[in-house]
Amino acid sequence: MASASIHVQNLHKTYVVSKRESGVLAALQSLVVRQTEEIPAVDDISFHLASGEVVGFLGPNGAGKTTTLKMLSGLLHPTTGEVTVLGYVPSKRERAFLRQITLVMGQRNELVWDIPALDSFELNRAIYRVPPTDYRLMLKELTELLELGPLLHKPVRNLSLGERMKCEIAAALLHRPQVVFLDEPTIGLDVTMQRRIRKFIAEYNRKFGATVLLTSHYMADVEALCRRVIVIHNGKLLFDGELASLVQKFTAHKTIVVQLDDVQADMHSYGEVVSREDGHITLRVPKAETARVTERLLANLPVIDLLVEDPPIEEVIERVFAQESA
Amino acid sequence: MNYLRLFGVYFRLSVMNELAYRVNFYIQLFQSVVELATALTGLAVIFSYTSTLAGWTANEMLALVGVYFITGGMIGLVIRPSLEQFIASVRDGTFDFTLVKPEDAQFLMSFQIVNIWKLIDIVMGFAVLTTALIRLGSKVGAGQAVGFGIMLLTGTIIIYCFWLVLATLSFWFVRVENILVIFQSMYEAGRWPISLYPGWLRFALTFVVPIAFATTVPAQALTGHLTLETLIGALTAAAVLSVVSRFVWRIGLRRYSGASA
Amino acid sequence: MRDFAVLYLQQFKTTFASMLQYRASLFIWMISAVLEPLIYLIVWSTVSVSRGGSVGDYTAGQFAAYFIVFMLVNQVTYTWIMYEYEYRIREGLLSPALLRPVHPIHADIAENISSKLVTMPVMILIAGGLALIFKPTASFQVWTIFAFIPALVLAFLIRFLIEWTLAQSAFWTTRVSAFNQVYFVLVLFLSGQIAPLSLFPRAIQVLANILPFRWMIGFPVELILGRLTPIQALTGIAAQVFWLFVSLGLVRVVWRAGIRIYSAVGA
Repeated sequence: MASASIHVQNLHKTYVVSKRESGVLAALQSLVVRQTEEIPAVDDISFHLASGEVVGFLGPNGAGKTTTLKMLSGLLHPTTGEVTVLGYVPSKRERAFLRQITLVMGQRNELVWDIPALDSFELNRAIYRVPPTDYRLMLKELTELLELGPLLHKPVRNLSLGERMKCEIAAALLHRPQVVFLDEPTIGLDVTMQRRIRKFIAEYNRKFGATVLLTSHYMADVEALCRRVIVIHNGKLLFDGELASLVQKFTAHKTIVVQLDDVQADMHSYGEVVSREDGHITLRVPKAETARVTERLLANLPVIDLLVEDPPIEEVIERVFAQESA
Repeated sequence: MNYLRLFGVYFRLSVMNELAYRVNFYIQLFQSVVELATALTGLAVIFSYTSTLAGWTANEMLALVGVYFITGGMIGLVIRPSLEQFIASVRDGTFDFTLVKPEDAQFLMSFQIVNIWKLIDIVMGFAVLTTALIRLGSKVGAGQAVGFGIMLLTGTIIIYCFWLVLATLSFWFVRVENILVIFQSMYEAGRWPISLYPGWLRFALTFVVPIAFATTVPAQALTGHLTLETLIGALTAAAVLSVVSRFVWRIGLRRYSGASA
Repeated sequence: MRDFAVLYLQQFKTTFASMLQYRASLFIWMISAVLEPLIYLIVWSTVSVSRGGSVGDYTAGQFAAYFIVFMLVNQVTYTWIMYEYEYRIREGLLSPALLRPVHPIHADIAENISSKLVTMPVMILIAGGLALIFKPTASFQVWTIFAFIPALVLAFLIRFLIEWTLAQSAFWTTRVSAFNQVYFVLVLFLSGQIAPLSLFPRAIQVLANILPFRWMIGFPVELILGRLTPIQALTGIAAQVFWLFVSLGLVRVVWRAGIRIYSAVGA
């Protein structure tokens, strides 16, 4: 308990929404009677994070990732279950707790639109009561790490999406939080910017030892940053462990990429042909067969190059979800 | 106190934000002048047919109009823009940012925006008020001035609490920005003295939508018609409403965060 | 013609359903629609009482009748289209409307009317309640009904078309509110909203007759209250027809100009 910075036990969150069908009759009916249904957004989730871990929360839209994050940051009360972060119960929203965490939401901005980002930073400084020297140091660090120099004095509305995101992240970290919650931080950004932000998060974690919980539906985010992955689907926790073992556990196949001299060769007896392009043929074979198929390929065909890979993680995740829905 | 410092930061930010749109000054000036002209013309039409309205003379009515603009200005300066922004932020989810901050959410959202151009209304209101007092030939003693100041502040607090309750409704209902529009039109009723209205409406405008405390009561303080009962009543109302509105806010927050009722 | 009927019917169905969803905000708007005439009703009744019974050609009871009827007629003719267009243009929602083969004004009219179908029953109830409290008196004449119906329809059309034209100003400026404010002040004084027009000096009354505002609200009100002679009723309707054509012309001109600007600037 002492070393677990985030502690989640049997967490449930159920929403009650009103149900209504289309049509004028139903509209009039809803005036009198309100029909509701219960939707479980988070369904019995448990996990523990040690201080300084970087963990990825993976799952499709509507899986319950954001809901879980909100419960961890105190924005939502759980329906049942226990949550503690840094020893605090988040929903109590104690000041001491809030001062040590931060929340970055990829799709929403908190920076004031028409003024330079630096001025919004000042606001956060006042709210978090960051001492002047600490603030100046932190600002310098963040400016360097995120390359904010020319951006700080421009009105936020004049910044590109990626530049804005960098400023949002900086604003969220000025008070050097111990726990960082990131909700889809790279969404909508171009590949270079995504990479840069991932690099920054890793740096921040290394430098300040903060615990980072990142939700995403981009595999690349998780691959680059997190050794540990928690997979959520339909509110249920499907997997909690190392990324590598996720791949191992949920895939029954391997991918063989073969480059042949004879492009027209018939590959069907070797395995499922996934694609043929530029002389590279991608085959999907059952894991157990990999060695045997490889042997046969090398023996029977004019192979120039051969590569055995794990299937792309997206495929793995899809399979995990498919298993769950099935 | 930290709250004062925070308000200072919000004020500075808003000033900088607004200075980027200096044309807004002229727009506000135009709108306020038109609004004042409308009010005065309306009065002129009515007082062409009578010399008193519900016991108020033309100059006393003028004083009331002055107070109307002053209080209206104070509402438009901070209360209205901040609470409108709050309602929008609940709708688009950015209110979560406020909630995650280590300061009281009610304070943060109540002062987040300062529409500095509304100072025009306040200045105009004082100008009209001064004119009215001069024409009334009344000597405004220190006591009356203090009473006026206190009633003005009290009225503003009452209105703020009322707005807070309305804004908090956005935790329950989605399209609530219209509710603030009600207030705007009901505030119109404050241009006229409360004694004008029939009993049931007077009750509504004092205890349901507390407009009376915003305009009539402070004006009475200056024209010398303020009774001790009303004074105490106003102060009590402000105290009670502060507690009640804070309570409603906290319930609203619990609802927003899905706490069991 | 048939297509229009189908269009309007379809429009009604969709907006009616959404209006019921947003009934809370509709009823909120109604409070302001009731309060304003109520305030002036009280003000003028009070003035008439202090003058020993009447102001001009209105007694307290007649003021009550005037403002209650005004409230209802206003409810029939009012629009919020200016705010709607400011919102649409600001949020870039105009493109779908531009792509439809039908002029967007039809959808706007249908939306306006269908929202009133929802609010009107409540409005009538409120009018009834106010009548019980304030005891209106009027010399109702049956023939006025035949003039009132066309007058009301024309009033609605004139007001809608003119306010729709004004709404297009959102194409040229983001400061629609300042623009609208002047318009609302004119409506306040010259349509009979702040006081029956007969209480104003002669010059103002002439102005009110020349401009379209009286024909938007005040005229049908005076008509149904039996305050106009048949001749005055007829000339009034003629004035309304005139303004109908003027406003139709304005709509055309402004819409074309607006489209040009909008397409140039982009969605």
